[in-house]
Amino acid sequence: MVKMPLSVEEIDEIRDILKREPTREELVMFEAHWSEHCSYKSSRRLLRLLPNKGNHVVLGPGRDAPAVEVFPGILAVFKIESHNHPSAVDPYNGAATGIGGIIRDILTLGAKPIALLDLLYMGNPFNPHAKWLIRNIVKGISDYGNRVGVPVVAGDTWFDESFNKQPLVNVACLGIVEKNKAVLSKPRPGDLVVIIGNSTGRDGLLGSSFASAPLKDNMVEDIGAVQIGDALMEKMLIDVVNEVVEKKLVDYIKDLGGGGLTTAISEAAGDYDLGVEIYLDRLHLRMDLEPYEILASESQERMLLAVPRENFNELIGILEKYEVPYSVIGFFNDSGFIRVYYKGRIIAEVPSKAMARPRALVRKSKPPEDVLKGLTPLQGIPEPDLEDAIIRIFSSPNIVSRRWIYEQYDHEVGGRTVVKPGIGDAAVLKINDDKGIAVKGDGNPRYTWLNPFNGAANVVSECYRNLVSVGSTPLAIVDELNAGNPEKPEHYWFFENMLKGLAWISDELGLPVVGGKVSFYNEDSSGNQVKPTLTIVGIGRVENVRKAKTMEFKEPGSYIVVIGETLPEIGGSEYLYRVHGLEVGEIPVPRPRLEYMHGSTVRMLINEDAVSSVHDVSIGGLVTSMLEMAVASGLGAEVELSLVPSRGIDRLDYLLFSETQARYIVEVPLNKVEKARRILDEMNVVYGVVGRVSSRSQVDLLVNGKRILELDIGVLREIYADSLEKYLERG
Amino acid sequence: MTGNVAVLKFPGTNCDEETLRALRRHGLNARIVWHRDFVWREYDAIVIPGGFSYGDHLRAGVIAARTRAVEQVVEAALNEVPVLGICNGFQVLVEAGLLPGALIQNEHGRFTCKWVRTRVRNPKGPWLLLVSDKMVLDMPVAHAEGRYIIDEQEYVKLVGENPPLILYEDGWNPNGSMYSIAGVASGNGAILGLMPHPERAVEPELTPRGFNPGGKLIFESIYFALRNGW
Amino acid sequence: MSAMLFTVNVVISYKPSIRDPEGETIYRQLILKNNYSMVKNVRAGKFLRLLVEAESPEKAVEQVKQACLDLRIYNPVVHEIEVFLHDR
Repeated sequence: MVKMPLSVEEIDEIRDILKREPTREELVMFEAHWSEHCSYKSSRRLLRLLPNKGNHVVLGPGRDAPAVEVFPGILAVFKIESHNHPSAVDPYNGAATGIGGIIRDILTLGAKPIALLDLLYMGNPFNPHAKWLIRNIVKGISDYGNRVGVPVVAGDTWFDESFNKQPLVNVACLGIVEKNKAVLSKPRPGDLVVIIGNSTGRDGLLGSSFASAPLKDNMVEDIGAVQIGDALMEKMLIDVVNEVVEKKLVDYIKDLGGGGLTTAISEAAGDYDLGVEIYLDRLHLRMDLEPYEILASESQERMLLAVPRENFNELIGILEKYEVPYSVIGFFNDSGFIRVYYKGRIIAEVPSKAMARPRALVRKSKPPEDVLKGLTPLQGIPEPDLEDAIIRIFSSPNIVSRRWIYEQYDHEVGGRTVVKPGIGDAAVLKINDDKGIAVKGDGNPRYTWLNPFNGAANVVSECYRNLVSVGSTPLAIVDELNAGNPEKPEHYWFFENMLKGLAWISDELGLPVVGGKVSFYNEDSSGNQVKPTLTIVGIGRVENVRKAKTMEFKEPGSYIVVIGETLPEIGGSEYLYRVHGLEVGEIPVPRPRLEYMHGSTVRMLINEDAVSSVHDVSIGGLVTSMLEMAVASGLGAEVELSLVPSRGIDRLDYLLFSETQARYIVEVPLNKVEKARRILDEMNVVYGVVGRVSSRSQVDLLVNGKRILELDIGVLREIYADSLEKYLERG
Repeated sequence: MTGNVAVLKFPGTNCDEETLRALRRHGLNARIVWHRDFVWREYDAIVIPGGFSYGDHLRAGVIAARTRAVEQVVEAALNEVPVLGICNGFQVLVEAGLLPGALIQNEHGRFTCKWVRTRVRNPKGPWLLLVSDKMVLDMPVAHAEGRYIIDEQEYVKLVGENPPLILYEDGWNPNGSMYSIAGVASGNGAILGLMPHPERAVEPELTPRGFNPGGKLIFESIYFALRNGW
Repeated sequence: MSAMLFTVNVVISYKPSIRDPEGETIYRQLILKNNYSMVKNVRAGKFLRLLVEAESPEKAVEQVKQACLDLRIYNPVVHEIEVFLHDR
């Protein structure tokens, strides 16, 4: 039996719109389309706060993916999507179909997908259920992404108890297309509606309304919602769309995603004031289905093409060459109505616009009872043994190398990956001889849980720094807001404030939010929300890929320079949690002006070849970033801590582990010292020359000339490189 | 532009474009040929690129090996047309019986993507024309079923023919391949199959620090071979 | 009663109502394309063979079924399993 979670008011509204009783098929259509996942009932109003315009923004929110002109005549099309709920039930297929869906969204503008990112927020790796989820999520992404030939080049991974049963699986895709080939037009009356790809079955029936309810305890019942991915068909769709776009055969492309055929045709018709006639019995099916099932099915790897009749034969030639199944199920007209027929009978007749624009709800918002946890200054934190603390942090699942994950992804297919995973702060992809695009994803559940406004701002800032570190100019971001139950004011409060923090920092940094998604109901069956998490994926323009910078130390004797002051900000830090077991305190304050200044400075240093390595400072603080640079290279360093620029710090642990924003560490070769100093002084930034890279395999930390710590690079490298495998395979 | 090289494409092949770029970059006239349009006589050399033909369903390369296109590749090989199989292409050549042995799941059971160091022994034939014996070539691998298996009898027979071999250097075997075999060729080297991706090891910007672009020599070799014979 | 060793086979496949892209591809692209039209359908799965110490063959099968559930050897949301004694 089909669930009908439309509210009484909504059914009344439907009667009002149609001026009669709705048919069963019409109810299913409204239900599929209006359910939370597809229509942002709870978020539409606030989402308008986000700045989404800019000189190079060609297409903002509204279509299946946004587009940014990254170089003259070349558009970068990128988007982020969540597949949290399916991944909790069937992690392998949930993650795999997430990849499929995001790639198809990029295809709708005619773009060629060139990179994927996975942002995974998962449970405690030592919890057996969480471990099962993690391993299968990674395998799902690996099997699907590798097969479709799009490299997974970057991501973000975080391990936290709150995600034990409900992980966050956010995936992003970046594609490129020449501006004059991009499919930015709309369907025209007379265009045929052609559905290409897999035949339709019972997969994910009403999957969207499934995503609109919290996880049930008896997972076995959720079977109707599970969708199975078919990467081979997806690859064929990529090839078909590529040829179709080259030959300019279609007016419009749409993905059949959440809400299935219903949403696709209602958005295609509704967005452009058109009508459409659909003959449902012409759709290629896998099995016998009722008309309402056909309308709501979420079978994967299906797309809609609006094809002018004169191009139809050529299109068929391409579809038959690649052996991609298809059916012509109707045509667009200018009636303003969606009319659906089944075996000669009309079963649905709805004004196109009625489906596409439901009412926005005003949700109540209230700070949670424990809101003070993020507003209380820290006091009485004992000073730990520093070496022990460093090792603990360096062994943290949130810090260690993600090698176990990214070596399962083909991150080189396509022959564009210049800066590969594990070696730079962001990925850099080559798009022609010189030019490239940098891309990175970030999130910090601890920050956004303690202080959603500042936390959101810091997540964007971290992404900004990562893009700068590899030598790019950040251009635009997309976001995913993962939150709890919007009907609970103490959950909704987090959503509202993360969004406001995002809107504020985007303005400050001049980084438009060109698209994004919202995922609600991320809680377990006991009504506990997971840590609310904002994830950001950003892109940057790289003028010359040969100048892209990686983080590993390059040359013994080079100088190590810290840009930006360190303040005593250990609230919500990795240090506070790993060493003292606390997740409290005031998180670091966002510093947009300094982010902008320091970002411009680092970019100039890179363009003028004044630095050989760059790494930004984030979780784990200054010492963690420094050690990451050493471990990645095998080279050591000697660092005089009294030379680290700081303010208000009187303890070493605060100096080493504070997560103050807007800081970078750069390596300056001996012959570039003059040039680097000149740039740093001209830009008027605070910096400190704190030490030198050494050829010895250890990092020495000194205070006023006295050696207080000697850290063996070999030992650290083993911890860093192999820990995640230990935690997930054996631990 | 020299020669006429076919880059075969099956459903699921995904390294065709960069393989094409690598060939063209080295002066070769090459194009991507959809498997059903392939006619072997039109080409001077054939490359079966990497990817997941037919999704690697059942076994990597097995479904492609039973297509008309690969039947033609076998015919072409019998007529001395040089054939190169990269990664999935190597799997197809082994399944089609053109090269000995078998390629099974990596020893540690996972897909692996990383750069490795290999050494060429007994270079012969068009694909290794410019490579000298014991030369080191760095290239990346990216596969789940790359573990080379060959039984003792077949190995003795193989070694008896003294063919070119590409071996993982000590400590660089990513998948447990027997005898450290990364690639194997027919006796005269005209048919070469290897798991590492030479097309990804051609551009300096794509080569990580500490490695060299080891794929260049393979493409330079086929260029000279088609120009001047081998 | 002393325990004996039994060989138990486990076949894990997608539930019949769920898409099986692997089975479909093998069927369409390998079997049909090479004219084995007497084959009407193919489903793919994973096979495990376990050596089990138990008091009786029925107990061995039961224990394997329980292990498959507890250890998530199969995901009951999407998979079905056949557990049976290996006949020589």
